[in-house]
Amino acid sequence: MKRALLAGLAVVLVALALYPMQATGYGVRTMLQLFMWVALAQSWNLISGLTGYVSFGHVAFFGMGAYTAGILIGKLGWAWPAACLAGGVMAMVLALVIGWPCLRLKGPYFAIAMLGLNEVLRVIVSYYEGLTGGGNGLSLPTLHASVPIYYAMGLVALAVTALTYLIITSRFGLRLMTIREDEVAAEAMGIDAFRHKLYAFLLSAVGPGVVGGLAARDQGYIEPLSVFPLIMTITMIVMVLFGGKGTIWGPVLGAVVLFVFQELVWARFIYLHQLFFGAIIVAVVLLMPRGILGVLQQKYNLPRTI
Amino acid sequence: MPPILEIDRVVKRFGGVAAVNGVSLALEPGRIYGLIGPNGSGKTTLFNCITGVDQCDEGEIRFKGRSIERLPPHRIFHLGLGRTFQVIRVFPELTALENLLVVTTSDYAVARRRAHELLALVKLERLAGEFAGNLSYGQQKLVEFIRVLMTDPEMILLDEPAAGVNRTLLNELLDAVRRLRDQGKTVLLVEHDMKVVMGLCETVFVLDHGEKLAEGAPGVIQADERVIEAYFGR
Repeated sequence: MKRALLAGLAVVLVALALYPMQATGYGVRTMLQLFMWVALAQSWNLISGLTGYVSFGHVAFFGMGAYTAGILIGKLGWAWPAACLAGGVMAMVLALVIGWPCLRLKGPYFAIAMLGLNEVLRVIVSYYEGLTGGGNGLSLPTLHASVPIYYAMGLVALAVTALTYLIITSRFGLRLMTIREDEVAAEAMGIDAFRHKLYAFLLSAVGPGVVGGLAARDQGYIEPLSVFPLIMTITMIVMVLFGGKGTIWGPVLGAVVLFVFQELVWARFIYLHQLFFGAIIVAVVLLMPRGILGVLQQKYNLPRTI
Repeated sequence: MPPILEIDRVVKRFGGVAAVNGVSLALEPGRIYGLIGPNGSGKTTLFNCITGVDQCDEGEIRFKGRSIERLPPHRIFHLGLGRTFQVIRVFPELTALENLLVVTTSDYAVARRRAHELLALVKLERLAGEFAGNLSYGQQKLVEFIRVLMTDPEMILLDEPAAGVNRTLLNELLDAVRRLRDQGKTVLLVEHDMKVVMGLCETVFVLDHGEKLAEGAPGVIQADERVIEAYFGR
């Protein structure tokens, strides 16, 4: 079973690595976006799926990465790989600034703070025109780098998934889950909940930061509304809930299924797809709160590694 | 012998109500103590103050001579003071084994061995891989009990260990508590079942309305008129 899964995984990875050689530009950019969603959903899962602290503003890290990379590339002439890594670092710094006060508190304060954070960042970015271009946005020098960005995006998705694997199969990951299960009991059992939450939060910010930078480079133009949209956070949440929160492969599954669905169906019904999202949230919460993988894990008593 | 735990004029208020109002206790190592009192007399609040779940408003709590009343719960736990809860608080979506593994910071292999030993001790070995939330009430109670033993704490607070547990299981639990005492550990338990308290504890503290009403050997406490009055009224 395990060997078959590993073999399957290897085949998928090789196929994805070879894909750009014979794909159209459209195909490459579509897959690149899929990788982006895998990385985003997987990152959200690290903090919210494992500790239960729901981040309603995770796209803030995406936007932070996009603007960091955008400014470094556009104004300072950095090479894009370095600028995108800097985006990841800045996202972590932002997570530290927010997490340090907010994660000390138990309960819903963190969720509310994260919702506010995204809106505040959007206003700040709009206001400081000199640096960010304000509402007019920021244009990056033209560069045709879809294929390198495809690999970079894939690498980030793979890295965040590998990180999730390492965490969930370690005692650190189990301790994060105890916070979700019962934070008071976790602390009474010697677990420093604040520290654990903060580490998980920092790790959950870096992926979206790098990915935001890559998306900015790929699109060549960013503006406040395009990199801080609330709908992106909601999409991450729906993907994780659908696939199975707190699992390794759930976010991947959710991202793939919903992204493919979006590409095939929703693109033809621009306005209906938000309604569809709402319907999925309601259906998942009511019918299978553990998500697809969570249900399968419980039904067939599968280990956490699947 | 110097006390292992000293509670010195501790006060804890919730709004205008003093749930614990100037309680002082001293517990010597290697003994089993009982904490009794009518509902609302402040037993669980005192437990929460000792373990850092609540912060007391006044007074001092010393564990092994060190002030702990301002420490967070996880620090107090690692000093060697563990507890169980009145309402079961296992981690339901972790397996029984995982519930134990998360507690220690020791080497993984050592932790696993210890966890399996403890599971075997309470005959739950075959349920190690089961989600704790799927276990029966009594089994969850046992998991919570052995979870606190993972780090081999010097002192253990048990909040109503006998509640909802059948006789057979209860006797096993009580034997386990006595064995812990024989190993030199100190136990403080809150319990409503007077048979358990009187049969197990060497010293009993009685709380009423947040104050210490009496302290002494079980036989003395049982005959104390103030205690009888607190429980049954005049």
